[in-house]
Amino acid sequence: MMFASKRLAKELAKMQEHLPPGISIFKAENLEEWQMDIKVLDDNPIYRNETYRLKFTFGSRYPIEPPEVQFIDVPATESAQESRRPIPIHPHIYSNGIICLDLLGSAGWSPVQKVESVCMSIQSMLTANHKNERPPGDSEFVTYNRRRPRDINFLYDDDNV
Amino acid sequence: MAFELKEKGNALYKDGDYTGAEELYSQAISKNSREPTFFTNRALTRTKLGKWEGVEQDARIAIDLYGQKSPSSLKSRWYLAQALLGLQRPQEAYDVAIDAYRASLAAKNPQSENLSKVILRAKQAIWAAKETTRLREMNGTLATVELLIEADLKRALDDVQGQLDRGEIGETGLREDQKALQDKAQEHIQNVREAFRISSNGDIQERIVPDHFVDGITFEVMHDPVITPSGTSFDRLGITKYVEQARVDPITRATMTVNDLRPNYALKAACEEFLTKNGWAVDW
Repeated sequence: MMFASKRLAKELAKMQEHLPPGISIFKAENLEEWQMDIKVLDDNPIYRNETYRLKFTFGSRYPIEPPEVQFIDVPATESAQESRRPIPIHPHIYSNGIICLDLLGSAGWSPVQKVESVCMSIQSMLTANHKNERPPGDSEFVTYNRRRPRDINFLYDDDNV
Repeated sequence: MAFELKEKGNALYKDGDYTGAEELYSQAISKNSREPTFFTNRALTRTKLGKWEGVEQDARIAIDLYGQKSPSSLKSRWYLAQALLGLQRPQEAYDVAIDAYRASLAAKNPQSENLSKVILRAKQAIWAAKETTRLREMNGTLATVELLIEADLKRALDDVQGQLDRGEIGETGLREDQKALQDKAQEHIQNVREAFRISSNGDIQERIVPDHFVDGITFEVMHDPVITPSGTSFDRLGITKYVEQARVDPITRATMTVNDLRPNYALKAACEEFLTKNGWAVDW
């Protein structure tokens, strides 16, 4: 018996009261998968006027184990009047939405992290970036990778990006 | 022969036929009343049926058969604590659970987490009983209204029991009806209390749990806080799970082991005092 669902219910209640600017809940109907919208707040030309969608998938061992987090590409919907949610360009984000960020791996994760803090880390990762490019080897990775994001041993070598 | 009955009982239990399973365990017990697993299985089945008197009896017999000191008795002690809670005897439930929790930690038994939850539930029930007395003493009108709601609930419960006796509903229907009625009555009482609280001229208490009592991993109020070498406190079970796996401090990522965790008695006392006065925080 784990505490994942109770902890997520509490996170959700807190987030419904207050969220940092640029971060909003798109969908959190169950305690297995949530979707969050994030915006980059400063005037970084790479991300200006865009909203991006993150998908969180939680296992029963959350928050001892990290959630699986990736960007998803969502087409614009006319009925809901929503613009498209593309995959942001970043040297650590593959074009299929997989994010290379140490805190999302088993080795870098800490149970004191939460959905809100993960969103903020990813938001600031975008804010600080000035390279309008994908990671090296993006097209092969996207074509051949079948592993789940957290099972991939990324090399976190270029911390200056 | 007796064990075959138990196996059949287990199969029915798995299918959700609790009444049938209970009957088979009872038959097994009548053939062999020295086998503790017959009693633990019947206790679990009776937990599902909400037959708390039976759970208490079975759990106590199983504990005796295993031996009070044996780690095998921990699960039965967990059932016993749940039964006592169901029987509205929270103080006894607390005493049983806290005792078993300590033994469970010492034996590194997986029941610790379940026991930890019952401890919090018991604390909450103890608080709720006190709070009810306090509120009713404070306001006679509120007491009268609440007693009316309770009397009404009792009448309705007798009514569904009658339906069961006449064979109009089954055991499952009975439990569902009982639960619906109890929830409804509880809701009425909460609403009435809320109304009285609002009209009590600024005597409204805001319900906030201070962050320093909240465990950073489970987000619940801590009841057994321990401190890491870097100086942050967490509730024992969550941090133990994490450190066993990651072998680092969750804040500083410095290497550490479970043996580096120390009890934080001052914080424990503070959390206990807070929960004694604010039992609602268990559900927060």
